[in-house]
Amino acid sequence: MKKSIRVVIARLGMDAHWRGSIVVARALRDAGMEVIYLGNQLPENIVETAIQEDVDVIGLSTLSGNHMILAPEVVRILKEKEMEEKVVILGGTIPPDDVTKLKEAGISEIFGPGTPLKKIIEFVSGVE
Amino acid sequence: MSEIFKDEAIEKINQKKDLWQEKVYNAGKEQKSVFETLSGLPIEPLYTPAHISDMDYLHDLGFPGDEPYVRGVHPTMYRGRTWTIRQLAGFGPPEETNKRYKFLLKEGATGINGVFDYPTLRGYDSNDSYALADAGRGGVAIDTLEDMSILFNDIPIENISSSLVTCHPICNISIQSMYFANAQIRGVALNKLSGTSQNDFLMETAITVAPELLPPKFSFKLCCDAIEYCTKHAPRWNPVSFAGYNYREAGCTAVQEVAFVIANAVACSRELIRRGLDVDSFAPRLSFFLCAHSDFFEEVAKYRAARRIWFRMMKERFKAKNPRSLSFRFHVQTAGVALTAQQPLNNISRAAYHALSAVLGGAQSVHIDAYDEALCNPTEQSSLTALRNNQILQLETRVTHTVDPLGGSYFVESLTNQLEKRVVALLEKIDQMGGIVKAVESGWIHKEISNSAYEYQQAIESCNIPIVGVNCYQTEDEKLPMELFEVPETLHIQEEKLKRIRMKRDTSRVQHSLDTIARCCDEGGNLMEVIINSVRTYVTVGEISRTIKRSYGTWDPPLF
Repeated sequence: MKKSIRVVIARLGMDAHWRGSIVVARALRDAGMEVIYLGNQLPENIVETAIQEDVDVIGLSTLSGNHMILAPEVVRILKEKEMEEKVVILGGTIPPDDVTKLKEAGISEIFGPGTPLKKIIEFVSGVE
Repeated sequence: MSEIFKDEAIEKINQKKDLWQEKVYNAGKEQKSVFETLSGLPIEPLYTPAHISDMDYLHDLGFPGDEPYVRGVHPTMYRGRTWTIRQLAGFGPPEETNKRYKFLLKEGATGINGVFDYPTLRGYDSNDSYALADAGRGGVAIDTLEDMSILFNDIPIENISSSLVTCHPICNISIQSMYFANAQIRGVALNKLSGTSQNDFLMETAITVAPELLPPKFSFKLCCDAIEYCTKHAPRWNPVSFAGYNYREAGCTAVQEVAFVIANAVACSRELIRRGLDVDSFAPRLSFFLCAHSDFFEEVAKYRAARRIWFRMMKERFKAKNPRSLSFRFHVQTAGVALTAQQPLNNISRAAYHALSAVLGGAQSVHIDAYDEALCNPTEQSSLTALRNNQILQLETRVTHTVDPLGGSYFVESLTNQLEKRVVALLEKIDQMGGIVKAVESGWIHKEISNSAYEYQQAIESCNIPIVGVNCYQTEDEKLPMELFEVPETLHIQEEKLKRIRMKRDTSRVQHSLDTIARCCDEGGNLMEVIINSVRTYVTVGEISRTIKRSYGTWDPPLF
């Protein structure tokens, strides 16, 4: 049997909105993935948990506007630890201009407001 | 009693209606199989006097400014005084937000509605490692009393009411103390101050969570400390604003929103009575903050139902006598969660409908969201448009000309009654659990809200809830028609200030004040009594909350 995909979901920094991250976490779990929900964390801890829990995907969530500072930091630390095979995705209120910059920084996909859950599930299911 | 409520007439109406529904109305032509409100209340094709035939006008509706306050908390309502236009503002360092406050006041805002940044709201200093990426975001950064004095510089706090959106009690205990201390230093006595602080323990423990939270019972204690303090020293200040708006934003239905704010207010009332206060000394200053979401009539009915439920609760359970204790006063913000990042200018009309429901529901003050809020903090342009949106509603539409204009609508009255029933049932359930604090500790509240949020999202995906631009009428390759807001430089400004303040402040006085706070925690005293003096030593928000957390510990909310 194929091993199920493991995902860690975390809210970046001080961001307080849990609705999006919880709804996505539940949707991924209902789609048969193993989901670890971290709550608020800084990049260092997120990467540490991702490694300990041997996850395939790191899902970040933020609506506070801190994404340009903290999301690329997660990717940087992963590279530093030679763990860049882990896929990093981001959800939240991300202005379109930032989407391009974040993708260049190594975030695999960005899911803005209004994204259907099935699009996120499809993306994560496709991660090998 | 009027003709339409006579038993015989009702019977005839029912017979006629059955006939109409059978012969004339064609259910086969209905475009949906189920018609219901956003909270899932069934909606019939047509409402008649029969739907409200068991109502007793004087007992169930009455007159504005009189029991049971369903038709409004003031006799004249907007004919006497329109709602306060209280547009939310806050970003960057206090110097910048002070400018935005002055801009909004100059353009006709009639009250201040100040929100604090993510770190401040959770009791962190701007330079805390957790805060670095969030300083100045979502609100204004406040670290010490000096920042508070800059924030309100040249703003006449003796004449204008200030709403401090302090969210978490751990933030409020410092921030409200700083606002009060700043007023005292400016020579304004506390009993002259008018305003509101949010200070809602449910916000801290269930709605807008943070890295390290106070355990529910201690967050609740801090909330009650501020209420007790204001009852004794600042009688014109509303020391709590039960933030149903935010509960709704996190996922609640309209029914849950009202049930949870009232359950919260009931818990506070019990605690303050236990502390020896008379219900009529504090209840007149308990205030509420509700959402205006997309289901227009459900929202109107919600505000009206909330007034009746609150009235009965305070009168029957708490034996309150002061009319102000019995009247449910509330601020409304239009639903942020209903705004779309797609085709953002559409949000102007959305928010206008939302605000209209608030006003037809008798709100005391209204904030209308800016059209760009699904993308960024509002720009000056979008804030101004939102303010104008509010002014157009107030000045051009004439909805202010009579009180409770939808009162007596068969549909609205029937919906008001149905919502009331569901809210009361939920309140009984929470009572059986031992009250709202227990319901938070057990994680029941978190589960309730997250279930509703999940169901709502699934209803959008299945197009049961159509959202223009999101699941229908999408525009391909949309170009954003506007400038986005950029948060001004905050961290370095706040870091510099903190460095300077730490150099010049009297270290032994700071230490003494922190020791006093720690002792007060251990002895179970009222923390606001102590902190209002401590802040004068330029102790920081972060130092105060760390001290409190050392005594009370932290808690991980059971969200998933």
